[in-house]
Parts: sequence; C-alpha cells; structure tokens
Amino acid sequence: MSKGSEIADHKYLIKQLPTATAFVNTDFELVYASDKWLTQHNQSPCDAFGKRIDYLYHTNNQLVNTLSNCINDKVDRTFEECKYDPSGKKWFEWHCNPWLDSKENVIGLIIRTEDVTQLKLSEINLGRLRSKLDIISEIGKIGSWEYDLIADKVIWCGVTRKIHEVDSEFEPSLEEGVAFYKEGYSKNLISMAVHDALTKGKSYSEKLQIITAKGNEIWVQANGTPVYEDNKIVALRGTFQDINDKVKSEHKTKANETLLRTLIDNLPLNIYIKDKESRKILVNKAECDYLGISDANEILGKNNFELYDKDIAEALNQEDQQVMDTLVPILNKESRIRNKNGETTTFLISKIPLKDEFGKANGIVGISHDITRLKQNEAKLKDLVNVASLQNKKLVNFAHIVSHNLRSHTANFSMLLEFLVDEKDEEEKQNIIGMLTNASNNLMETLENLNEVVAINTNVGLEKKPIVLREKIEVVEQNLSAFLQGHNATIINNVPLDAIIKVVPAYIESILMNFITNAVKYSDPKRPPLVKLSCRKTAGATILSIEDNGLGIDLKKYGDKLFGMYKTFHNHKDSRGIGLYITKNQIESMNGRVVVCSEVGTGTTFNIYFNEED
Amino acid sequence: MKKIDSIYIIDDDPITVFGMQKMLSLAVDCPQVESFVNGKTAIEEIKKNHESTGKLPEVIFLDLNMPIMDGWQFLDEFLKIPTSEKIRVNIITSSIDLHDKEKWELYQKKTHHVIDYNEKPLYKAEVARITKKA
Repeated sequence: MSKGSEIADHKYLIKQLPTATAFVNTDFELVYASDKWLTQHNQSPCDAFGKRIDYLYHTNNQLVNTLSNCINDKVDRTFEECKYDPSGKKWFEWHCNPWLDSKENVIGLIIRTEDVTQLKLSEINLGRLRSKLDIISEIGKIGSWEYDLIADKVIWCGVTRKIHEVDSEFEPSLEEGVAFYKEGYSKNLISMAVHDALTKGKSYSEKLQIITAKGNEIWVQANGTPVYEDNKIVALRGTFQDINDKVKSEHKTKANETLLRTLIDNLPLNIYIKDKESRKILVNKAECDYLGISDANEILGKNNFELYDKDIAEALNQEDQQVMDTLVPILNKESRIRNKNGETTTFLISKIPLKDEFGKANGIVGISHDITRLKQNEAKLKDLVNVASLQNKKLVNFAHIVSHNLRSHTANFSMLLEFLVDEKDEEEKQNIIGMLTNASNNLMETLENLNEVVAINTNVGLEKKPIVLREKIEVVEQNLSAFLQGHNATIINNVPLDAIIKVVPAYIESILMNFITNAVKYSDPKRPPLVKLSCRKTAGATILSIEDNGLGIDLKKYGDKLFGMYKTFHNHKDSRGIGLYITKNQIESMNGRVVVCSEVGTGTTFNIYFNEED
Repeated sequence: MKKIDSIYIIDDDPITVFGMQKMLSLAVDCPQVESFVNGKTAIEEIKKNHESTGKLPEVIFLDLNMPIMDGWQFLDEFLKIPTSEKIRVNIITSSIDLHDKEKWELYQKKTHHVIDYNEKPLYKAEVARITKKA
C-alpha cells in the first residue's frame, strides 16, 4: 500500500468519525478533520485543510500557547473556548491529545471539540436565577434550609443564618435548629411538625417565635416539605422567613382596633357610622342597646326608614345629607327622636362628615348623647326651684305680714305705756288702760289669724278626698240660709252632679263659705244679691266659677292687694281683710290657684282652679 | 312752743291716732289737728280745701298700710296737687319691708315736698322733732 493511498484511507476514515475531530501538525495546520468538525466550525474542506487552526478559529494567541504546551509537554488538555458566529456566541470544549507516530514522536495534535453552548447558556441562566433568588431572599428576609436525613446534616443559607443572628459558618444539628424556638408553644409545635414531616411526610407552614443567638425574640414563618427519593423521605427542605415587623404591626393594628372597639363600646354615647345612603355600617354597643338589639349585624346596612317611622326618618335623612353636602358638622344639637316602639329619647346629636381622599363626604360619623334622664331631672329640678322660690316668696311675704302686724300692736303698747307713766289725770289713765286692753285683744286676734295661716301652710300634706262639689255647695248654702235670707240673696247652683274634685273637705267648705259671704256682703245696694256657681273641666284642672252681681272691685287699683292680709277695699263694718288671704292659702295648699275678674258696678267672678292631677 | 297751722293724721288704727294727737298736743301749738282712717277720705278733704282756700296742711302724718287707699296711693294723688308750697309728709309705719324704704327714696326724688320715713313706735321726743314746717 503506497503512502499516498494510506493517507487517503486515513482521510476517508477520519472524515466519517462520529465526533467533531481535527488533526493538526506541529505547526497547527489542519491535516485531517471529520465532516462533523467542519460543519461544527462552518469550514469547507477545500479551504480549511493546510490552514492554521487558530486562523480558522479567529482566535487569540492564548489558543496557540495552550496548543504549544500540549505538544511540548506531551499531555492531554481540555479547555473551553468561545467564538462568535453569525448565530451568536458559541462555546466549545476542546479536548487535545498529542498525535504520536509509531515511534511515539509528537507529530501534531488530535483535537476533539464539543459544542457546549447550550450547557453554557443554562449555566449562565442558573447563575442569574441564583443571584435573583439571593436578592429576593435578602430583601424578603426569606432564608432556606435543608436537612439531609441520610447524612443527618442541616444546611442553612446565609439569610437563614442572618435571621438566627449566627455567624456565616454556623452549621446546626437538627436539635440545635429546633432549640432556637421559643420555649412552650413555638418549640412544641415545631418539634411536632418536624417529626410529622419526617415520619408522615406532612408539610408544614407555621408562624412561630424564635430567640436568636443574640437573645432577640422574633416572629418567623417556618415552612418545611419532605423530599422523596425512591418513595423514601431523604431530606426536608424549607424556607425560613423573618416576619417580625409584619407580626408586630399586625399585633399593633389589632391592639389599636381592640382599643378603639373597647373605647367606643364602653363610651356612654351612641356612636355609629353611616354610608352615603345613610345606611349604618358601624354601630357601638350603646347604639345597639338603644335600638333594642343584641347583635350589631341586625342593623348593619339598614337605612333610616328601616329603623324609624317615616317622619323621623325623613328628618334624619335630610340632616345626614346636609352634613355630607356642606361638610359642616352638626355639633351638640338637641333632638327628640322617637323609635319604632313610640318611645321618645332626647339626644345631644353630633354628626361629622367622613371625607374620602378627594375631600368629598362618603358618610358620616354620628355621636348621640342620651340626655333624656338629664332633661327629666332638669325639669324636676326646675319645678323644685319654682316651688322653692314660690315658697320662699310666700315665706318672706308672711314674715313681713307677721312682723308688720305684731309691730303695729307692740308699737301701740309701747306708746300707750309711755303715756300711762306720765299721765296724772285719773280719767285719762282709765281711757289709756281701756285702749291697752283693746290693743291686747287686737294682738290676740291677729295671733289667732296668723296661727290659722301657719296651720294651712304647714298642713300642705293634708289628705285630699274626692267630694261631689254640688253637694258641698248645697251644704254651705244650708248653713248660710239665715244670712242669705237676711240679705235677700239668691244662690244659683249650676254645678253638675258628676263634678267630683279631690280636696281637703274642711278647706272646700271654708272656701265656699268665704266666697259666698263676700259676694253677698259686698253686694250692690241697688239690686238683690245673686251668686251663680258653675263648673267646667279643662286639661288638668276643674274650674269652679263664682259669679256675683255685687259692687265689683277696681282691679287696676287693688288687683295686687285683693288677696293680701288685712287689706280691705270697701268701707264695710265687717271687713277684716283676712278671709280672702286665708282662702287663697287654702287653695294654694291644695295645688290650686284662684283668678279674679271684676267690673266696678257690675260684679265679680272668681275662678278657682282645682288641680285634679295630684 | 312751735306753731303749726294745720296737721293731718292719716291712719286706720284708732290707737295710733289717739297717741299721735296726744303727743302733738304736748309738742306743738296747733289749732287744727285732723285725722282720717284712710288715704281716700284724706285726699278728698285736702283737695276740697285746696280748691276752696288754696291751703294745704303744713304737716301730714301718713300710715302706709290702710284699706281702700293706702299711703302710697295717697302720695300719688297728693303729689299731683299743683302747689309751690312745701309740705312735710312724715311716713309712720310698722313695716320693715325693704321695698317700702326703696319706694320712699323714689318718692323723695320726684317731689319738692319733704317726705320723711319713720318706723313705729314713735315717742314724744321724736314726734316733737319731726313736727315742723318743711
């Protein structure tokens, strides 16, 4: 076999090699190459052979150096080269072996190249993913860990170590890892979870507390999942996240919420929030109590018309709308609100607009203070003050009357005694003593009168009994019959039989007697006296009218003195000026009152109001 | 002894009137001391005299609490009488009501007459002191 045909045989053989293989001589010129190699490196057979491989490869001296070393040192070399090709960057793995002749002389290199572009790209991608993961892990404070069951080894990533506040070389055992968890709930739970994961293959995800190497107590989210190989658990893998800030702020939010809820539920104020359509979206306990429900959900979402009668609901709607339209709050407005049961409550109402981020109202906060009791007490107190001030006025008035009457008598005593001491004339002495006796009698009478008034005013609580008014008038008429006949007087009793009033029986007789005798006493001499009694009912009172045709009283002049003590207005020998004063006291002690109208020359009418309510 | 032409006592209490008359008789020389049981009879007499003679009583003793027309009502009428004469009105009362004292101060301001305020009981010396021309 000739040498030429031998080479041709080699060439043909090499051409068909299943791997991309090239043969270069010691000058790195391409001698043989498989078709695979030529295709891989985009070379045509006619141009490539005899050319230096580094030229073909458009590459640097580094390649030549590497190849030279390979020839000189007679060693195998494997390295990566990259080249740019129209389709992009490509990586090749070069395996170079020295090419020996039969005498073991190096005559060149056998180069096998492998396209590792795909692998390389994957590697780069993986690297990118890794760094991405690192970033996410760092920012999210999410670490990872793995427990290799076979090797009984725990591996923590950097972030996991950081969360535990241990140094970067720290490698715990499984027990040491668990030991970081806080004694009690956290430690018990993680021990169970890890055990279950290892034995039953259960994944876990728990919010727990650990105590770091530096003694800080923090909240973490610990996750773990078993890893299987041939249906057997070989490892646990999981993440480990620092959620302390989140949990802390959650706790804070929750605490704030609880605080707020406790506050609004325990305030003695009705608090609610209504939406744009006046539907209640939040109510506190006091508001629930007021609306008579135990569960707030019963009224949430309901509008005014569902909670109140139409008239009230319309007024409330208008008020709500006004606050939302004008954005001007209503503060401490006194309102009387009737609920569906017909009970009326007096509230001090405040309505404050709730604004959205654009400054427009999308609801209101309402605060209502139930002041019904306060109002009632206020009214009671007012009544009491009125009664007290009236009593006080009466008392002062009475004190003046007493003082005046006693003083006028004692003044007389004192004066007369002064005379008596100096008087020589026996007759005049007797005269003065007569006057002293008179003064003494007057004083006695005055004291009796005053005593009577005191008795009336101290016996305010005297028991009242229902009496038939008409019958009482008839009795008085009977008792006065001689007096009436003597004055040729006529009584017309128009009081119906069914007029029943609650009075102190003794007082009503005295009152009737007084008014009737007065009417007759001060009759007009021009006509026979006529006294008409009638009765009518109004809300809360029965009014007895006693009308006469007598002289009449000039009320402009005497109106304020008519019922005063020792005030008389007629030149009448029987006028004592005490009767009307006592009568008035008796009427008032029974919670009644008396009103007079009169015309001089025509007659007088007294209207006596008996208060039936008490 | 002082000489006064005419004195009026207006009081519904006969004992007071008796006492006043007695004390006046000791204190002054007055030929005409008249008494009235209320303001109405007094003012009627005063008006009648004033119309016919143009004269008024020089000193008036006036009670406040009286029937028909009381002391204040009397003063209202009396102050209306057109005169340049200065009359002395001695209010004599047993009232201790502050309102009466306030009222007196008010009346003092609205008249040229002299109005004096005295509380009962009155004694001779005091009567002598206040019984004088205004």
